[in-house]
Amino acid sequence: MKKYSLAIIVMMLYSLMTQASNEAYEKAMLKELQNMKTAASPEDLQKVANGFARIAQMMPEEWLPDYYAALALANAGFRSEGGANVKDPLFDQAKKYVDKAAKISPNNSEIVALQGFIIMGELAVDPASRGQHLSGLAMQTFGKAVDLNRQNPRAIMMLGQMELGMAQFFGQGPEKGCGLIKSSLELYEKEDASKEDGTFLPTWGKEIALQIKQNCQ
Amino acid sequence: MKILLAICFIFLVNCSLAQTTIQGVVKDQKGETIPGVNIFLKGTFEGTSSEIDGTYILETKEEGTYTLVFQSMGFKSQEFEVLLNGNPQSLNPILREAINEMTAVTISAGAMEASDEKRAVVLRPIDIVTVPSAMGDIIGAFQTLPGTANVGNDGRLFVRGGDATETAIFIDGLKVGNAFGTTASNVPTRTRFNPNLFKGSFFSTGGYSAEYGQALSSALALNTVDFPVRNQGDISIMSVGGGYTQTLAGEKNSLTASANYFDLSPYQALVKQNFDWERAPYGWDAEVSGRKKWCKNGVIKAFVHTEANGMKIWQPVPGSDERGQLVGVQNQYTFAQTSFRQLGENDWSYYGGISYSNNVDKFDLGQMEMRNQNQLVHSKLAALKGFSEKFSVKTGIESYLFNYEEALISEDLKRDFRDHHTILFSEADYYVNNRLVFRGGIRAGHSSLAGQSWLDPRISLAYKFDHEGQLSLAAGQFSQMPVEQLRILEQSTQNTRADHLILNYFLVKNGRTIRAEAFYKDYKKLITYEVAQLFPMPLGFDKIQQNGEGYARGMDVFYRDQKSFKNTDFWVTYSFVDSRRKFAHFTEMVQPGFAPRHNGSIVVKHFISALKSQLGVSVSANDGYTYENPNLPGQMNSKTKSFQDLSLSWSYLAKPNLIIHLACSNVLGRDNIFGYQYANEPNENGVYEGNPIKLQAPRFLFLGIFLTLSKDKSANNLNNL
Repeated sequence: MKKYSLAIIVMMLYSLMTQASNEAYEKAMLKELQNMKTAASPEDLQKVANGFARIAQMMPEEWLPDYYAALALANAGFRSEGGANVKDPLFDQAKKYVDKAAKISPNNSEIVALQGFIIMGELAVDPASRGQHLSGLAMQTFGKAVDLNRQNPRAIMMLGQMELGMAQFFGQGPEKGCGLIKSSLELYEKEDASKEDGTFLPTWGKEIALQIKQNCQ
Repeated sequence: MKILLAICFIFLVNCSLAQTTIQGVVKDQKGETIPGVNIFLKGTFEGTSSEIDGTYILETKEEGTYTLVFQSMGFKSQEFEVLLNGNPQSLNPILREAINEMTAVTISAGAMEASDEKRAVVLRPIDIVTVPSAMGDIIGAFQTLPGTANVGNDGRLFVRGGDATETAIFIDGLKVGNAFGTTASNVPTRTRFNPNLFKGSFFSTGGYSAEYGQALSSALALNTVDFPVRNQGDISIMSVGGGYTQTLAGEKNSLTASANYFDLSPYQALVKQNFDWERAPYGWDAEVSGRKKWCKNGVIKAFVHTEANGMKIWQPVPGSDERGQLVGVQNQYTFAQTSFRQLGENDWSYYGGISYSNNVDKFDLGQMEMRNQNQLVHSKLAALKGFSEKFSVKTGIESYLFNYEEALISEDLKRDFRDHHTILFSEADYYVNNRLVFRGGIRAGHSSLAGQSWLDPRISLAYKFDHEGQLSLAAGQFSQMPVEQLRILEQSTQNTRADHLILNYFLVKNGRTIRAEAFYKDYKKLITYEVAQLFPMPLGFDKIQQNGEGYARGMDVFYRDQKSFKNTDFWVTYSFVDSRRKFAHFTEMVQPGFAPRHNGSIVVKHFISALKSQLGVSVSANDGYTYENPNLPGQMNSKTKSFQDLSLSWSYLAKPNLIIHLACSNVLGRDNIFGYQYANEPNENGVYEGNPIKLQAPRFLFLGIFLTLSKDKSANNLNNL
């Protein structure tokens, strides 16, 4: 009997602890997601990434903390006004986090789309010398993200963005790219409608899509 | 019950809610503050980041002993044991810089790298195919880099006073035998391999790694494309031929197969030629390459290239008005290799492979028919171990099997030799910090035929300044067996030797690159001989000895700028070489005919968005080639006028998948002369009559249409680079 009560106590304690940890996880995620919304400078975004990295070391089975750490650093890279020596380390670190997320959750459309987003950032650092090499890779990565989930508005929006860039370069019409942006906006609407609280799944990118759409009209 | 009490007690302690504050400033070794450091208590969600001024405040309700971690990009993480008991604490850590392969110093002495990696490199792979004067030949692009000489009637790579055989070419680390097509004398040759095959290259004009040997002057390491991104078919239609390449790309493996055909007859029928062709150069090649990912972190590649080509040319005999000597050349060539790379556990990695080259040449000189065959098998196995982020050692074992056979078919005579080299190399890199690196290596070898063992030590070091420029110094010994055509006559010949000393300055900043290098090269044990006849081929070697010697010294400068002018990329190169050597049939120190003293080139590429076109201009010049005029006293007693070339190219992206490329060499039609060929005997007036050695035509015009077919309509021929 004594043995049983011990086992029960240990189990209870364990479930109590995991619950506590889950609560702490959710609390921490909410806090950092909030911080990410208000973060303006690359320095703020670095702090947000640090926050997600702290969560990631506590929750090695969750892909979202690494995903958001990578996203925050990629955004820091895009917003930074420094040269390649400032931006490249940010994208490199972002890559490390996103690759870790990909290991935890393989074939995840959101993660693959973020990998493409980071490639786009590296390309933007020095388009003249990286364009040829990285534009193909970015296209391919977005294509893969779309194949994995045709309902992923971010993958479709970024594929559209790349298409528009290519069309502009070759002096072609923007129809294809704008079509993709339009369907991404429809998917964003759907996403807004079906949003569930407490899942922390990515929802970003609608503003970017809206901004690009302006160029289509 | 006791347990329950204990548990309750633990919870009570946990709930006692005392707050501890830890604060301080994070600095680096130089005393500068570090912003954005991630500071957290290991095993908790508690943490903060340092501010722009490096300060931080961590407030926590945890109690007890914890590990406080300081983590920041570019620095080594530091951990501290802290006792949280409500008392405020102060902690000012100094973070140590981590070795960062992206920004750390690299050894740049002698080296010019073309790569898509983000590190500072001289060129990108795409730059190579778009140099106007290169005409799609990978070597043509290297001839616009410092340290090289343009020897237009040869086409191969001549580095710093060295002849063309002093450059060794490797594909994925494995040696390529007969990398250049066989040709008649004074008809320039090209590399056999399509530049689109390679994603990067490492070109060294001296002082290179212990991994490479059997090259006195230079090593050129080409790396093949890893994984193509999509299925596609590439069609090329050119003024000199055409080809088709199909790429199949899978998740874990890919296959590329191509076939090309060229024939210069139609072109030569349209454009007047200086040469008297009986049959213009023609040929075909086929290539298959496959790549596969294996295990978790391994890649295996296989590559086969086979080709056949030929030409027949009338070479004028000096002093005669007749058509001259008819020289027929037929060549068959195969290169096959397989290589692997594998990342192991505990910072071990392995790579290696095996390559086979087989070259068969047939020369038909009318009354004389010759056949020679050169075979090479190179195998290599190397392991790299990182003992720490600062110290790594690379060690490898190699085997070279040489087999050379020469037959005089018309006389039914045959001779051959075999040689086996066993090589052991080891090289250690030690990073003192991100600014200072040392490299030391040795290469030990043994030749079965020469019965010779050798040991070549090499050292280099590099230091990076605050302004991101870096200074490198390299020194080493280099050994190379003489060419097969001489070894077969004198099988006991030993290695020829060169000692290098190189000082290099290299800076890449804001889209501009400056590279300056000074060098000294000392040659020993060069081959000398007496020769019965020089024309039309050197024949009848006698008294082959190894008492030749020489030196090459000089400096070169390279400046590249992608920033100053919008949509424009240009580079300017100047190389000065002072070289004299006693070699071949010379009995005193002379300036070789392939080593002009002053060499310069300018390459400009300008992209015009409105025309969707890239315009290219390249200019090369040198101060002329030495040659020997038998009518004058002394050896190598004359010099040609200066060589000058202006090439233009225009690449038009007609559609995303269609590129039209037009290039013209020597637009101004300058009559370049590379030397003179003299009769073997003087005429009745006692004068040796001579003919100037010129290019096959004043200009070469190239038109190519490259169409890519794939599901992705924006893919084109350049995407795989």
